[in-house]
Amino acid sequence: MRSKFDQQLSQLNKELIQMGAKCEEVIAMAAKALATGDCELAKNVAPVDKEIDQMERSIEGLCLKLLLQQQPVARDLRQISAALKMITDMERIGDQAEDIAEIVTFLGGRTGAECGPILAMAEASIEMVTQSVDAFVNRDVALAKKAIEHDDVVDDYFVKVKSSLISLIAEKPEDGEYALDLLMIAKYIERIGDHATNIAEWVVFSVTGTHKGEIL
Amino acid sequence: MTKKIFHSMFFVASVAMLLGILLIMGVLFAYFRTVQKNRLVSELRLTAAAVEMGGEAYLESFQVDDCRLTWVGADGIVLFDSQGETADMENHADREEVKEALETGKGESSRYSTTLMEETLYCAKRLSDGTVLRISVSYASVPALLFGLLQPLLVVFVIALLCSILLSKRLSRKIVQPLNAIDLDQPLENEAYDELSPLLTHIGRQQREISAQKQELEDRQDEFYTVIENMNEGLVLLNAKGIILSINPAALAFFHADTAVGRDLIEIERSPEIEKAFESAAQHGKSSLQVSRSGREYQVNLNRIGPQNDMSGMVLLIFDITEKVFAERNRQEFTANVSHELKTPLHSIMGSAELLENGLVKEEDIPRFIGYIRNESARLVALIEDIIRLSQLDEASAPEMEPVELYELAAGEVESLTQPAKAKNVSISMEGESVTISGVRQLLHEVIYNLCDNAIKYNVDGGWVKVRVSKTADGAALVVADSGIGIPAEHQDRIFERFYRVDKSHSKESGGTGLGLSIVKHAVQYMGGTISLDSTPGVGTTVTVSFHKKESRP
Repeated sequence: MRSKFDQQLSQLNKELIQMGAKCEEVIAMAAKALATGDCELAKNVAPVDKEIDQMERSIEGLCLKLLLQQQPVARDLRQISAALKMITDMERIGDQAEDIAEIVTFLGGRTGAECGPILAMAEASIEMVTQSVDAFVNRDVALAKKAIEHDDVVDDYFVKVKSSLISLIAEKPEDGEYALDLLMIAKYIERIGDHATNIAEWVVFSVTGTHKGEIL
Repeated sequence: MTKKIFHSMFFVASVAMLLGILLIMGVLFAYFRTVQKNRLVSELRLTAAAVEMGGEAYLESFQVDDCRLTWVGADGIVLFDSQGETADMENHADREEVKEALETGKGESSRYSTTLMEETLYCAKRLSDGTVLRISVSYASVPALLFGLLQPLLVVFVIALLCSILLSKRLSRKIVQPLNAIDLDQPLENEAYDELSPLLTHIGRQQREISAQKQELEDRQDEFYTVIENMNEGLVLLNAKGIILSINPAALAFFHADTAVGRDLIEIERSPEIEKAFESAAQHGKSSLQVSRSGREYQVNLNRIGPQNDMSGMVLLIFDITEKVFAERNRQEFTANVSHELKTPLHSIMGSAELLENGLVKEEDIPRFIGYIRNESARLVALIEDIIRLSQLDEASAPEMEPVELYELAAGEVESLTQPAKAKNVSISMEGESVTISGVRQLLHEVIYNLCDNAIKYNVDGGWVKVRVSKTADGAALVVADSGIGIPAEHQDRIFERFYRVDKSHSKESGGTGLGLSIVKHAVQYMGGTISLDSTPGVGTTVTVSFHKKESRP
């Protein structure tokens, strides 16, 4: 019985890592599509997002099965409940990446110097996701906290991107729509950063039992 | 142990007891029966004598508790009985002992009553008047005796049981104690029962064998670990589920992991390519992919262990193929460069020749065009010569080393370059001391010529070139310093590559093939020297070639 439980737990662990890896991949794809204006690549993002949705359902099922059949306690329970919360955030990351890719197709392959800070921002958010997943893999609270702190970098980038887009609109009012699309993308990336923060917080919870400093 | 001993002990006690009872019953019962019979016979004789004398009156006074006396008439009618009324009694004539006594004078018999479990012994004697006197006594039979003995027997059984338990406990403890005290790690140093010594010897031998085998296994494992830990290639061993069984430091460095054994591969490496390669290897037996990581190129080979439907694991081998990839790229670049460099002058030659052929060139311009053709051909020849020289150096089939007077040679080169230097308004000077080194005159000429030529070519108007030859601790140094345009830091690593030019657009203007420094590098390497570069853009360049006395051909 217990050995089956352990096996299911490691299966959960493995699937979570796979899902995290997919999230990293999907953001990288969306960012690359934006950088190169590659509409074909942008269209490939949607199927990967579908895969992430599929993974979410599979992990959800596994978590519920574990909760019902094994009635875990303490650390195992924390790990499973944290997993349930994390996959929601991961699924949202996939959705945001798909939204970015959709906007890239609207832009019709247009790309320019304005995208520079957005790409840097995307890189920072990928870094955050990587750090949170690494933190989960290694049960590394310090790394999770680093990922949470890293969110400030992404937020700073967002402010920078916003002001540069305001000046772009002021200079070239005809590019207003383009600027707004870019702003949307920047906002989505900023959201990805927030989701990565959530994941990192749940990693901290699953290891220490405290979420945002509170004992749940 | 205790149980077994108890069982056998109790069994022995019970059997002994039973046998004892049977013996007593069998032997003593028969003895007592004889005694009883003899007594009966003598009593009968006495009684008979008394009856003969006293008649019935004696019989009336007969008082014996344990015997029964019966007087039977010659016709069998009971005349007297010491127990009971004679009237109620049937005719005794057909009783065995009476019959016998009537016929022979005396008789005896015994009868057994199952209801009373008693045996009755009869003795009869014919009196002189023809009547028969009978005496009988009853005594308990063997089963009845046994039945009577049941209670004491049970008590004895219980005592035997308790004794057996106690004794067996103590005995087994005593027997087992030396067995428990046996030290199996040192089987031959025990003084237990002699019967155990073959077993102990056997154990001792097996222990020696096991420890020898264990030692051998450990040695082999150590060997294996030493090998995989010291190899440059990364090696990872996975089981069928992808759990890492063994990993060497090179692979750990590749995955940027601290610990990995016992973890899932996906925990330390989650790139989709490697996962795909893993699946493909599980399907097809092997797969390989190229990964670039932290600026280096790696090839990862995956090999399945065991058949497809019963995979027992996977081996990952990680090679650093940066050099190979780099060399490949160099070769491709070199081929592209060679074709390009060869094509350019040929096109000039062909264009000029076509113009001349079609008579499109004015009479007075003809010498100029022919000059073009000649110059470009010369360039082509120079290029091809350079390439040949380079490939000769590559194959290391250059001539033998000989002692060369470096200063003299350098001075000669400087002398011959004075004229071209003057044309570019650059001063060239020579200083230093006489040094003899071991080298190849032709190659040294190439080295000095190319370095000085570059120093002049890439110099500023009114600049200077200084050549210095000096002795060093372990050989000699040739320094060519100039006040030229310098080489930007990002190009300094690459200027020794074939066809590499800092400023690609000026290649035509300054002439040269782009192979000069490459030849210098190869020549210096051939002679076992080293070359170093120190340059600041806009200030100048200093190239130092060090020759080592020890002949250390690579």
